[in-house]
Amino acid sequence: MTTKLKIDGTTYDVTVDEETPLLWVLREYLNLTGTKYGCGVAQCGACTVLLDGKAVRSCATNLKEIGDKEIMTIANKTDPLLKKVQEAWVEEDVPQCGYCQSGQIMNATGLLKANHNPSEKEIVAGMNGNICRCGTYNRIKNAIKKINAGA
Amino acid sequence: MELSRRTFLKNTALVTSAFIVGFYLPVKASAAEDTKETNRLKPNAFIKIDADNTITFFMGQAEMGQGTYTALAMCIADELDAHWEAVHFKASGIDPVYNSVFGPWMLTAGSTSISTKQLEMRQVGAAVNLMLKKAAAARWNTDLSNIKTHNAEVMNLKTGDKFTYGDLVSDIKTMSIPQDPELKALKDCSLIGKPTKRHPSEAWAKVTGQAEYGVDVRMENLKYAAVLHPAVFGAKIVSFDASKALKRNGIIKIKQIPNGISVIAEHWFQAKEALNYIDVVWDKGEFAKISTKDIRKEYDALLHTPGASMRRDGDTAKAFKEAHSIISADYEFPFLAHAPMEPLNCTVHHTGDSAKMWTGGQVQTVYQKVCADILGLKPEAVEYNNTFLGGGFGRRAAANADYINDAVYNAKNEAWPIMTLWTREDDIRMGNYRPMYKNKARVALNKHGDITAFEAKVVGQPVVKDTILGFLFKDGVDWAQWDGLTDHPYSIANHDMQAHSPSSPIPVLWWRSVGHTQTAPLVEGIVDEAAYKAGVDPIAYRISMLEDLRCIKLLEDVAKISDWKNRKKEKNIGYGVALVKSFGSIVAQVAKVKVSKNDFKVLKVWCSVDCGFAINPLNIENQMISGINFGLAPTKYSEITIKNGEAEQNNFYDYLVTRISDAPDIQVSIVNSGDKIGGIGETAVPPIFPAVANAIFDATGKRYHSLPIKIS
Ligand code: FES
Ligand code: FES
Repeated sequence: MTTKLKIDGTTYDVTVDEETPLLWVLREYLNLTGTKYGCGVAQCGACTVLLDGKAVRSCATNLKEIGDKEIMTIANKTDPLLKKVQEAWVEEDVPQCGYCQSGQIMNATGLLKANHNPSEKEIVAGMNGNICRCGTYNRIKNAIKKINAGA
Repeated sequence: MELSRRTFLKNTALVTSAFIVGFYLPVKASAAEDTKETNRLKPNAFIKIDADNTITFFMGQAEMGQGTYTALAMCIADELDAHWEAVHFKASGIDPVYNSVFGPWMLTAGSTSISTKQLEMRQVGAAVNLMLKKAAAARWNTDLSNIKTHNAEVMNLKTGDKFTYGDLVSDIKTMSIPQDPELKALKDCSLIGKPTKRHPSEAWAKVTGQAEYGVDVRMENLKYAAVLHPAVFGAKIVSFDASKALKRNGIIKIKQIPNGISVIAEHWFQAKEALNYIDVVWDKGEFAKISTKDIRKEYDALLHTPGASMRRDGDTAKAFKEAHSIISADYEFPFLAHAPMEPLNCTVHHTGDSAKMWTGGQVQTVYQKVCADILGLKPEAVEYNNTFLGGGFGRRAAANADYINDAVYNAKNEAWPIMTLWTREDDIRMGNYRPMYKNKARVALNKHGDITAFEAKVVGQPVVKDTILGFLFKDGVDWAQWDGLTDHPYSIANHDMQAHSPSSPIPVLWWRSVGHTQTAPLVEGIVDEAAYKAGVDPIAYRISMLEDLRCIKLLEDVAKISDWKNRKKEKNIGYGVALVKSFGSIVAQVAKVKVSKNDFKVLKVWCSVDCGFAINPLNIENQMISGINFGLAPTKYSEITIKNGEAEQNNFYDYLVTRISDAPDIQVSIVNSGDKIGGIGETAVPPIFPAVANAIFDATGKRYHSLPIKIS
């Protein structure tokens, strides 16, 4: 069946079984490969996107759960907060292999949308679902602390 | 290792509008071979300059997070005087010009990319820089001394005239390449030795989701495959019924391949879901009776029989007889999966008498040959494309090429390009683990508390035997068994060290820092116990047994940055130290740990590193942070255990790894001793195991010898 998806300002019609997780629709039906597969079971955060501004695991979000909510991915070019987060990531020299970073950045963006000025404790709690095997956590913390999300 | 080789430069590929320089390294240099090699010279290239002044570097080393692209590019760009922000990178194809110093293949492993390649990259950059200057000097009819280069431009200091490098492409194309170009003095370098962030092109690609990993390769008509693998190691398929699976949406084909049953579908999720609908009759084999406790029993028995000798000197029997005191300890380290963040994958398109493949690999030449052999082709008929690697840690240099085999068999004789993608469960359950080890160590102390004899026994499956690094398996002993143990840095007069190499159907593999993962906790654990027994401060004790001045200096450095002398005695808080030489570098760490009832948390790690000379200090700091956080996973959580022949773990919910809440504060200090440049990518991993265990002892008075540490 056909589903309408609003992704980063563009509307797509996809014909796909509505039980399919959003992750695979993004990656394979729309070839939006910035959103990553890491575990498939909501354990690693590599697949994180924002649904109406809230971070969700796209590997565990079926199409039918999305309705008319707006999807924001790492490929979004207009969201000013996402841009700030990306800039902070480059500035703090966060990415190593980089594979987890789409998810880290989307999760951090979701966190900062809800809380402009998170404490260290809130950062750790908010980011604990995102695994980085390269261990860039220390840089991630620094990057998030530097972002002025309110301005 | 003895390697006789000569280096010389050739401008090998003459593209109409561009200039490409190749730097050619025949591995065997004999006069006859030289001529032969010269004749079959291919477009070996590191630098490409286009007429519009676009400068591209071709990278033979794989970028898997360790910062190699940036560091090697810094070496070329600095000597070339390129415009740093404006240079481009491209993963190279396969060519002997990019081969490892270890053998006739491209290899990114053993923390060797910078140590073995940096000088060559500088020479390449310097040679081309000199050619550009000469070309400009000829055009301006002036002396070389009147010419300067900066940001990809040549300037005439007398007249102020300028050429871009691109302007001079046609002039240098036919010029011979200088063989011994002068390198910049380090003080004149603008990039080398300076803290340099990840090159912006790579960093931005990675923060915007644009970077292409193997799993992101897309092309027309691409199909996807998932593979049903045996759960029991070594199990065989007797028969299977795929009729239910075949009826599902999007399924194109289901076939048996050597490693399992493969489902090819329009989309990967369809293929993966269909795996649940295949009925298989397995011949599980003998190993189905085996669990971790059986392996433990087997290894324990081996610990009590003589093994292959790794090191024997002096008279240990006498030393133990005369000992004032003896410390002995048993260690157990479990199997470990690498679990790189990007699940394993490879895309292959078989087009009759040729093929193309795409993957992020650490051993390009080997993977190309695996593909060629399976398809019955010559390696040259297989076009290999290397992407970014979403983590490697050794897993993407699979000696048995397991996931590559799957991908090639899946695509063999099929009409479409096929991406084979392993699930995370495949990655965790299919082996190629760091081996399980059971070790024993014993030291004799004299009445002053000095160690007079060191005995050790290591039991674990060999890692390098029968691989491309097989030359590191010698006299029945595997590199992963002795590295860091037989060559420990301490002055001890008597040694008896032995190893056993049991076998099993579980494939094992090098895992970030390889042998040091089991030798560092042993050596740095027992030396710490000896210090305690001797009643001497653990850092002072180590220094008293060291001759290597670099090691001594590094311990002093880590003592200084951690303010070791003034560390406070607080309840449930402990400090532990460790020093490990690995991959040509030395790392010393002090860990501060807080222990609670059934748990512990590493609060802070001070880390001093001496890799000879730091090409990119910022990246070295990043790699220290990376190695510490990576090493904390098996210190605290990760283990693969076996039950009835199967791995008991499946995914990140039961194979636990370090998360942000586990990450300690980390302070890094770089000591530039000026010694030979060593490796970096793996070197921060080994010391963290013993530093934490020693800190837990300091806090609790209890020694934990095995990993992961389960506080009881
Ligand atoms: S892939 Fe979705 S959380 Fe891991
Ligand atoms: S940067 Fe490699 S997994 Fe995070």
